[in-house]
Amino acid sequence: MTREEFLLELDTILDLPAGTLKGHEKLEKLEQWDSTALMGFIALADTNNGARVSPRQIVNCSTIADLLSLAGVAGSSS
Amino acid sequence: MGLTGSIILVTGASSGIGRETAVLLSSLNARVVLVGRNRERLGQTLSGLSGEGHRVAAFDLARTEEIPQWFRSLASDMGPMNGLVHAAGKQLTMPVRFVTPQATDELLRTNLSSAIMLVRAFCQKNCHTATSSVVFISSVVGLVGRPDTSVYSASKAALIGLSKSLAVELATERIRVNCIAPAFVQTEMLDEAREMLTPEQYKALEELHPLGFGTARDIANAVAFLLADTGRWITGSTLVVDGGYSAR
Repeated sequence: MTREEFLLELDTILDLPAGTLKGHEKLEKLEQWDSTALMGFIALADTNNGARVSPRQIVNCSTIADLLSLAGVAGSSS
Repeated sequence: MGLTGSIILVTGASSGIGRETAVLLSSLNARVVLVGRNRERLGQTLSGLSGEGHRVAAFDLARTEEIPQWFRSLASDMGPMNGLVHAAGKQLTMPVRFVTPQATDELLRTNLSSAIMLVRAFCQKNCHTATSSVVFISSVVGLVGRPDTSVYSASKAALIGLSKSLAVELATERIRVNCIAPAFVQTEMLDEAREMLTPEQYKALEELHPLGFGTARDIANAVAFLLADTGRWITGSTLVVDGGYSAR
C-alpha cells in the first residue's frame, strides 16, 4: 500500500474527509484519535502491510507520520 | 478427585489458565502433557509442576491438518489419555467495522478449528482411556454480549455448541465433553486487553464483576472438577465461572 493510500484509509478510520491527513498531524491534536481509532489502525497495519503493532508501540507515536513508519509504509518518515 | 495416574493433555500450557491448570493437575497426581508453541515457556511451566512423568510437547495448533498424527504419536509414547483441556486461544478486541477476514480466519483457526481437530485426534484408537473427559475453555462473552469482541465471542460460543454435539456423539465411548466459561481472569491475556483500554475503561471492566477479576486458579479448579470423578455425570454442560459477570 502506498503512503497516500494508507493516509486515505486513516482518514476513513478517523471519520475525516478523504485527503485530510497529510502526515504531519500531531495525534494529540486529533479529536478523533481514540481507542477505537487505535484498534482500527492496528487492523489496517496488519491487513495491508502485514505489520503487527501493539498498543504499547503506538503510545510512543506522536504524529501520523510516526504511525506510518510503525506500520512500515513505504516512503514514510517521522 | 481420582486423577492419580491420569494422563491429561493441556493446550495453552505456557501461560495463564493453561499453565495454572497444568500445575493444579500435577498436584493432584496427574501426569500432564504440556502443549504450546514456545518450548522455553513450556519448560518454565514444567519446572513448576509436582511429581514426575510429565511431557513438554511443543506444537503449533494452527497446523490443524497435522494434529491427528501428532496426537497419535504422543499417545503411542505416553499411553492413552484420560483427559484433554483446550486452553489455547487467541484474543481479539476489535470493533466489527475494523475486523478483517484474515484476522477472523486466524482466530477461528486457533480457537475453534484446533479444538475440533484435537477431539478428532483424541477419539482415535488407543488415544483415550475407557472413560475420559474433554474440557474446552470457552468464555462468558460466548454467552453474553460485549462490544468490540464479536469474532472472539463467536469463537467461544462455537465451543459451547461444539461441546453439546460432541457430548451426545461421544457418550457411547464414555468421552465427556464440557466447557468452562470464565469472565476476565488475571492473566497475560487480560494484560493484553488492558492495553486497548483507558484506565477508566479498565476500572469499569473490573466493576462488571461483582466478585472482581478472577484468577487462573479459579478456572483450574473448575477444570479439575470436570476432569475428575467429580464430573462423572456431567457432559454437554457449560460451567460458568465468572465472579458474577453474567448474573447482572
